[in-house]
Amino acid sequence: MADYDRRTGASRGGYNNRKRRYRDDDDYDRRPQRRRFEEPLHLKIRKQLLSVAESPLKRTDEEINSIAKLVVDNYEDTEIRNQSLDLAVQLVIEQPLKIPFIAAIVLVINPTKPEVVQEILVKAGAAIKEHLEAGAWREVKLLLRFLGCLQGLLEGDGVFPILKELFSRAVDLQTASSEDSLGLELVKIILLTLPYVMASSATEFEAQALALLDKTDIIASTPHALEALVNPYPGNDEDDAQEPQSIIALLQRQLQGESQQAWKLACIPRPWNVAKKEEDGMEVPAAATKHALPQIHIPSPVVPGPRLRLPEIYFSVYADQEIETVPSTADIASSILRDSLVDTINILDFNRNATAKFLIDLDCYFAADTFVKRATQFDKLRHVDEGRSTWKPEDVAVDAVFSQLLQLPSSEHKLVYYHSVLTEACKVAPAAIAPSLGRAIRWLYKNVDQMDLELVYRFEDWFSHHLSNFGFTWKWTEWVDDVQLPMVHPKKAFMVGSLEKEIRLSFAARIRGTLPEPYQPLISEAKEKDTPDFKYNSDQMRYSEPAKEILRLLRAKAPDADIQLPLTNIEETARSLGVADPLIPSTDAYVTTICYLGSKSLSHALSQIERCKDRLLSIGTQSEPARRQIITSVMEYWQEKPGVGVNMVDKLLNYTILTPISVVMWALGDQLGKGQGLVHSHIFEMVSSTVTKVTNRVRQIVMARNAAGLPADQVAILDETLTKEREEMGKLFAIIEDALVGVAGASVDDMAESADQDLKGEAMLRGWGARWLRVFRRKMAVEEAWVQEMLEQGAQAQAQAQAQAEAMEGVDGSGIGGPDRNGDTNGGANGGEMRDAELDDIL
Amino acid sequence: MPAAIQTTVDRLDKPSAYYIGRNKKRKYGRDRDDDDVGRERTPEEPEDPLKDAATLYVGNLSFYTTEEQIHELFAKCGEIKRLVMGLDRFHKTPCGFCFVEYYNHQDALDCMKYIGGTKLDERIIRTDLDPGFQEGRQYGRGKSGGQVRDEYRGEYDPGRGGYGRAIAEERQKEEEEYGKGR
Repeated sequence: MADYDRRTGASRGGYNNRKRRYRDDDDYDRRPQRRRFEEPLHLKIRKQLLSVAESPLKRTDEEINSIAKLVVDNYEDTEIRNQSLDLAVQLVIEQPLKIPFIAAIVLVINPTKPEVVQEILVKAGAAIKEHLEAGAWREVKLLLRFLGCLQGLLEGDGVFPILKELFSRAVDLQTASSEDSLGLELVKIILLTLPYVMASSATEFEAQALALLDKTDIIASTPHALEALVNPYPGNDEDDAQEPQSIIALLQRQLQGESQQAWKLACIPRPWNVAKKEEDGMEVPAAATKHALPQIHIPSPVVPGPRLRLPEIYFSVYADQEIETVPSTADIASSILRDSLVDTINILDFNRNATAKFLIDLDCYFAADTFVKRATQFDKLRHVDEGRSTWKPEDVAVDAVFSQLLQLPSSEHKLVYYHSVLTEACKVAPAAIAPSLGRAIRWLYKNVDQMDLELVYRFEDWFSHHLSNFGFTWKWTEWVDDVQLPMVHPKKAFMVGSLEKEIRLSFAARIRGTLPEPYQPLISEAKEKDTPDFKYNSDQMRYSEPAKEILRLLRAKAPDADIQLPLTNIEETARSLGVADPLIPSTDAYVTTICYLGSKSLSHALSQIERCKDRLLSIGTQSEPARRQIITSVMEYWQEKPGVGVNMVDKLLNYTILTPISVVMWALGDQLGKGQGLVHSHIFEMVSSTVTKVTNRVRQIVMARNAAGLPADQVAILDETLTKEREEMGKLFAIIEDALVGVAGASVDDMAESADQDLKGEAMLRGWGARWLRVFRRKMAVEEAWVQEMLEQGAQAQAQAQAQAEAMEGVDGSGIGGPDRNGDTNGGANGGEMRDAELDDIL
Repeated sequence: MPAAIQTTVDRLDKPSAYYIGRNKKRKYGRDRDDDDVGRERTPEEPEDPLKDAATLYVGNLSFYTTEEQIHELFAKCGEIKRLVMGLDRFHKTPCGFCFVEYYNHQDALDCMKYIGGTKLDERIIRTDLDPGFQEGRQYGRGKSGGQVRDEYRGEYDPGRGGYGRAIAEERQKEEEEYGKGR
């Protein structure tokens, strides 16, 4: 106490204690006045509904009964009734973890007010119809799950007829195409509805469930043709590849196992059982009313929805630990937990705090005893009694986030969303989440050489970003032995790449300070320099005099014509020295000078480029090697901060000073060496972002041409552009393919020469080639598939619109031809033009 | 179906209370010359200037955070069209805020959701949707040239020039009496 007094006394004399001084003047009580009114009823119901099952401190059965009572008591108030029922349906779609609890409320209401139940069934039916028509399959799945939980109060076979109809649609799709994935999605929905039906209060549906399960078996268990494409662990060689585990095949197997164990489905909560017992005191009508499901017609053919679907692979970062911290893939819980979590994560991207809270409160939404207590340390799991669960809720949660962050070919949301969810979860419950993340990181690092290369870079990107949110602290000492590895080793490349990314978010000296001594050489002194030197300042440098002159002129903002003089000077000297392409040394001097003048910041660089734009543009048209020299000069100037260099290259692409092909030729041709170029993460970044620019452009054009109500002539123009761009895209991929096949197959000339020198290193380089190749082959396959599918959808929509128009007017509108499937008519324009403005013109 | 669909949890991609409050005030006393309608915007939507906003105001940056660092983080939400650093009106040095302009509205919204409230250069940064950068807005509006919040800030913030400038001045005067530091 005395201590406290002294402190406050002292601070009274300190600076800027405005708050405290202010309080001294206060002579009246400022406590907030107590709320005088009861909360309005509709808000009370809303609040209770929204927070159902959220708190581990409240008894869920009491909550459920209280909400049910509120709804029943206020049945006469149409507005309140409508609002709460709408909210209940909305919760089903937005907060899937709460579905069983919402269902329990409905089940409790049923005996006393069956009318309410009928109403909510109608609303749910309408919602299903709406989402079926939009092809929003996740929402359809969740609504079906809700109905599945209500199976006990449904008439006849309840949801089974719908599931059967879904199945017949799936069969249609599968027979139509062997590469179909939408049919798989439908089967997945069936398989994920079944466990909830079987866990519901309904009984005696075992036979039906089993019959359905028998039927789905063929579709679910047949490996999909494209599975290999999205395998997260393809391995380095053929032999250490891990068999990809398709989610749907796992589900099928797990459910079959469950059917032999009397559908125990231990992890699914059964709030309806508890809530019913509570009811015992009240009068319960002998037989609660049963309800007919509203008619739900599943359109045929079904609507595919906007996302390209590929087979889904089960991914876990907690596989093969000595103690099971997440359910094994043999257990149905692995699928049920994962599915609800993944949906929660992907639905709630608009509030990562809410997502993080769900992840941390995960154990509230499943049966008691599914998990060990929160934040139980891994070591303590050894002492858990035999037969009890050792699953850590935070491991299950983190695992789900990683499964999305590291999903191939792409994640539903921007990757940074998943970063932010992990950051938030870590902030809310560091003691629980941080150790789990630590184990996840170790596992990923351990497997870095077997992982798909795209995923390695996603991991790297997340890792560095995550550390930047937590003071860059990581136990680097753990990996200290790997510092000795050669740069071609994937682990070493990962470390170097991560540190580079950390520096980009911070600065070299800061990151150096977080590293133990053996790591110090990884961050060179030169990286701490703000602006790299101007190499021509050294008189040793050839062409230094004219280069300095260029610097002087550019700095003085001299007219462009004046700059020609020193450039010509360089070119003449070069020619006299026998340089084949004199434009190369002059370009080097020019671009290096621009880099130097723009080195202060990105804005400086951009305004410098803007000023020199015309001359830079003309270099490329004169000579391709000189165009690539631009990249060489930029990357050489920024060799200590390759991130800045990559960024510059990106901007130069936007200005069309560089072309996508020139960038790829530079990275995978000029810089390839024996394949060493492939180990640098910034090279991958450069190639991959260049490719993305091209593919995005194609996508934009497709979207534009598919836009409803576009006149035929405009569609034709867009189709022509599309043909050209697709061809360009194909050419780009072909160049990448050629270069990488060379490395992967070790047919590069240089490599053959040094065959017996360093066999191991050579094998590693081959591995890099193969890993790169997988990534870009997949990208190409995905893009082609996407374009194909969208064009088909567009053609369908067009045909429909046309049929409608014809039916309405009786006029023939035959002008529209089918979309171009294969563009091999036009001679290629060199380099895809990247400017947005150009696309705008087309539109 | 409910008319205005309110999500069951709040959305993080809405403009801040600050933005909304500031606009309300402006309705009464029209003391500013810049009306919040962006320059290149079509005139049909004056009711919501943020409808297509692709620009973000970013606050609580350290004075030492560089454009490159900002670019590195914000590019995770989409390609950046332009980045305008907030500068001290007199010294023309960074004063702890900036504008980030994306090509797409959706990228800006995603940035609100995924980046606002996370750390950059080890500080929690604030993002707010902005109707668009206009010349002049890159300067601090505080008396001494920086941001207003850095005038009277009582806490020592090494990333933003120590104590608030007005406070620092006051401190300077009292320096002899009280000795150095707290």
